[in-house]
Amino acid sequence: MINSILIFPIIAGILMLLVRKRFFDNLMLNIYAILHFVITLFLVFDKGARITIPYFAVDGTNKVFLLILSFVFLMVTIYNNGYSKHLPTFNNIRIKDKKICLYWLMTMAFVLSMTGTVLSTNLGLAWVLVEATTLTSAYLIYFNRTKSAIEAAWKYVFICSIGIALAFVGIIFLNISTGDVNTMSYSELYRYAASFDPLWLKLAFVFMVFGFGAKMGLAPVHFWLPDAHSESPSPISALLSATLLNSAFLVIVRVFKIMNIAQCDDYARLILLVMGFLSLFVTAVFVYHIKNYKRMLAYSSIENMGILAIGTAMGGAAYYAVILHLIGHSLAKASFFLTSGNVLELFDTKRIKSISGLMNADGKTGWLWVASFLAICAFPTSVLFISEFIMIKEMILDHYYVLCALFVFLLTVVLYGIGRAVVKMTFGEISADKAPLLEENKKKITISMYIPQFVMLIAVFTLGIYVPRFLQGVINAAIGGF
Amino acid sequence: MENGFIILFGLTMLYLAATSRIISHVRILIVQGVLLFLICLCGYKHTPLLNLAFLTVETLIVKSIVIPWFLYRILKKTHANRDVEANIPHFYCLVIASVILLGGFLVSNYFISSMKMISPLYFGVSAATIIISLWLITIKHKIISNVIEFITMENGIFLLSLSVAKEMPMLVNLGVLLDVFIAVYILGLFVNEINKEFNDLEVSHLSELKDYE
Repeated sequence: MINSILIFPIIAGILMLLVRKRFFDNLMLNIYAILHFVITLFLVFDKGARITIPYFAVDGTNKVFLLILSFVFLMVTIYNNGYSKHLPTFNNIRIKDKKICLYWLMTMAFVLSMTGTVLSTNLGLAWVLVEATTLTSAYLIYFNRTKSAIEAAWKYVFICSIGIALAFVGIIFLNISTGDVNTMSYSELYRYAASFDPLWLKLAFVFMVFGFGAKMGLAPVHFWLPDAHSESPSPISALLSATLLNSAFLVIVRVFKIMNIAQCDDYARLILLVMGFLSLFVTAVFVYHIKNYKRMLAYSSIENMGILAIGTAMGGAAYYAVILHLIGHSLAKASFFLTSGNVLELFDTKRIKSISGLMNADGKTGWLWVASFLAICAFPTSVLFISEFIMIKEMILDHYYVLCALFVFLLTVVLYGIGRAVVKMTFGEISADKAPLLEENKKKITISMYIPQFVMLIAVFTLGIYVPRFLQGVINAAIGGF
Repeated sequence: MENGFIILFGLTMLYLAATSRIISHVRILIVQGVLLFLICLCGYKHTPLLNLAFLTVETLIVKSIVIPWFLYRILKKTHANRDVEANIPHFYCLVIASVILLGGFLVSNYFISSMKMISPLYFGVSAATIIISLWLITIKHKIISNVIEFITMENGIFLLSLSVAKEMPMLVNLGVLLDVFIAVYILGLFVNEINKEFNDLEVSHLSELKDYE
């Protein structure tokens, strides 16, 4: 079962390289998305997991990550069917047809490397695959071939590669701390973690949390994130934000568990708490004066990753909140980014100032934009409301009143910053000179560019009141992974 | 013998800090690759043949032939020869790099010597290499120099992984090699693209994307 998720894209990729027709490539991506989702469902329900392959496996921890990845990928692929029709003239730069086919191929490779990261049972292999995600997505970020796109891609590859290289130093330190045990597989590491040398383990954790944290977008190593998210095509931004950051978070969770077993968790919690609050702070400062709405969404991703780090640091009931938040953020943010793709198609600009009257220009996009905003800002019954509520409750129960006040304050500032921009863009009148352009651009938006956001938002708002039993089981299993 | 090679490796970093011609930086990469190969040979007398073959491919072929050749081609294409306007004069660069190297030796001798598994010399030189590379990345002005320093940092990490007596699984080693190689390749491609787009390789051009205008 697992091997078909991992092998299909390799075969399909070779075929795509040979054929290089847009229709065929898109078809292959669609088949992969459906196959990925079906197999993930089988794996989540524990059917067909008997055949095991070395280095890759499904366990309690990564099930929920795999489920999110698969669902978001399916939704993004559906969106892509409409979006990719206009790809050659995107940003008024014609890209050669042969080159454009690489878009689907690289998307597939990107998803493959993320799937590998999520499924890998070996820390070393996870490192390799996290670096592979950087390399495959670099092309996608550079896809629009503008000056700013190349700047974003350069920063992305360079910062993430250095971060990941430092994470490898962390892995070497972990290897030193293991003493006589020579292994990198998670289950073995967990088994012997209690006997590890604490000094080297702590040193290893610092390097790894900074290295994989760079990939996850935690401040102060988040600098690539706003650039890369704002310059890549919108479906790719959605994939980056909703799945790539999660994959890096999974690796941090795995390492955190080693710290937990080795009784060094106080130290690990402190680092995560500081980085989490720093992420909230950075977002609150920057989102206030933001000029570009895709950058605004990227900063919101940094904020939500910060919340995940804080929740992990809190522990206890907050673990449940972290998993809920992970699900909610991925779905809501993917929907937000996909809708931002619609807005970009309509107005041809990323500047918040130049956009007004989205509701009048295209009602469906306008409503999706507002609903995505409500979902991400934890408006009840969004699942993010439940998760943030549990986290605040946990802080109060543990008597961290100052932290709680700071947490609520920073979230409110971020909410105000995003809310102001969203309201400014959504309502108001369309200027008369823009009306013909909008009418023209509106034809580009097909039905498949509305449905995925709608489905994901329904899921977010439903999960706030009702969590199906199977998902409850998956979440409970994931809590065991901390 | 082995220690001599490691010290030579540390000295190459000083040379890197003190020179401004990019072509000699590329030559330093070749020297580092060969030195790493020799260090592997000395330290790995009892390794299985397969592992030795892999290390040879990694150090001798990839690190000292393929990557420098690739960088040399980029240099020819982009006509970049000097990284003149470094923020700090070369003399001070040399002093700071020497201080970091010395710090590496001292720290590793005081703190690491109690551990049986790692040799202090390996550890000190590799840690100093990583720190010097990171520091050089921050002060250089040409993006191609940044790529070169990224590679020296990877070399330092490679040396660090040699200092641990235990081995990673072969699969992981292979993956690391492949990733680093592709990262350098992609960075090289981007250097070309940036050169085409901006007609120059200055880092300062890459500052369009920001939040405040």
